[in-house]
Amino acid sequence: MALEKRQPYSVLAVDDNMLNLKLIEKALTKEGYTVYAADNGPKAREIAGEKQPDLILLDIEMPGENGFDVITKLKDNSATNTIPVLFLTGVSEVDAKLKGFDLGAVDYIIKPFHPQEVLARVRIHLKLSIATNSLIQDQAGKLRQVTAAQEAMLPQPSEFPDARFGVYYRALQEAGGDFYDILNISGNITGYFVADSSGHDIETSYMTASVKALLAQNCTPVYSPLESMKMINDVLVEILPPGKYLTACYMHLNRSTMKMTIINAGHPPVVCLPQEGEPYLFKGEGDILGMFSDAGFGQVQITVKEGDRFFLYSDGLVESAENKITWATGADSLLPVYSTLSNTPYADAPAEMISQLFGNDSCPEDDIVLLCVEV
Amino acid sequence: MDFEDLASRLGIDNEDFRELVELFIATTQSDMEKIRQALADRNPADAGAAAHSIKGAAGNLGFEDMAKLAETMESQGKDGSLNGFDAYTSEMDGYVTRLQEKLSGD
Repeated sequence: MALEKRQPYSVLAVDDNMLNLKLIEKALTKEGYTVYAADNGPKAREIAGEKQPDLILLDIEMPGENGFDVITKLKDNSATNTIPVLFLTGVSEVDAKLKGFDLGAVDYIIKPFHPQEVLARVRIHLKLSIATNSLIQDQAGKLRQVTAAQEAMLPQPSEFPDARFGVYYRALQEAGGDFYDILNISGNITGYFVADSSGHDIETSYMTASVKALLAQNCTPVYSPLESMKMINDVLVEILPPGKYLTACYMHLNRSTMKMTIINAGHPPVVCLPQEGEPYLFKGEGDILGMFSDAGFGQVQITVKEGDRFFLYSDGLVESAENKITWATGADSLLPVYSTLSNTPYADAPAEMISQLFGNDSCPEDDIVLLCVEV
Repeated sequence: MDFEDLASRLGIDNEDFRELVELFIATTQSDMEKIRQALADRNPADAGAAAHSIKGAAGNLGFEDMAKLAETMESQGKDGSLNGFDAYTSEMDGYVTRLQEKLSGD
């Protein structure tokens, strides 16, 4: 990781006594620190916001806004809430020390203070702060790699022009729980898979990679769609940690025979928008994937016509925790929206649907994947 | 009152220490004005607050007698009493005068 931190480190000293400020300033500047001084609370907060010091030394007893008021406001402000604050406090003020810690101070220095002690404490808390920031940067970097790896696993429509699908995918966190895959089983047979796994952690992203590998191995012309899902389930039961599972939907389309097979594993129902007529749901029952070795899945097989469209999605599309809607009811209520998508090209239909449901700026409550497949 | 010794205990050079003493005299005189005003207003809390300021600064520079006197004034003021403050202020003024003399004499 690059060492981006600027030098020198800066400290904001806050004390209504000018002598104390000067003493701190002399001790710290001699050691190469930049020192900002404030003799009252409002000025301290202003400097903290503007200069973003690396650390704040804050006197408790000050006229007007005291140290407790100042730290409370600093912690309420997103621009200043991560700056470590050390209190300057009298030796007898035990309650004050405890209150300071409660309000978010990292340490205190007893007054009268020795400049060398101030220096030592400033050093140790800057080291801690640097180590913490470096850890956070490191972890965020790793999670960004996970996001990139996970997105690289999601096939784009341009890579599979014959599969004739459009997709909207959005993960709320770095390791999203939703996942989809497109499988080129043979010239005219395509598999479409959408899953939602429990959790959004790093483990989830490994699960995504495992499922993708299992799909590639098991979704072949040799196995029926139901057999493929059962084999994947049996492996997942063996490898997934307790409490981890997936809901999934697998759609197997043979464009030669015009047969569509839909396998449902505890997932929201597939929507069919026929070339002519009203949209409807396939409410297939089925167990979730990866939990039971004797799982049974819902299966539907239908004959399709050219131009028929199918929508696969995750529960984030139809559920709303805020409005207490589950997919059992949410899926029905969305049917009229699909009707409005008849004339939208299939590639654009998912984004159009999301825009109609959530507007352009409101934030969905969960990960969302929405796939539109045209026969 | 050995300035060199105090400066070395604080880990700063003599010149810096003298500068701090000058500043200390100025802030203490200002605090003493507040105490006199508090006495005139019969306001022990204000007297205690100003004494708190002197206590911290004197303690930081190593002027322990002044810090102790200021502590007495602070705790008494915070307890609501101004008894003996005339004597305290005279004593504090005496410390300040001696500091000024020490600065100009060295």
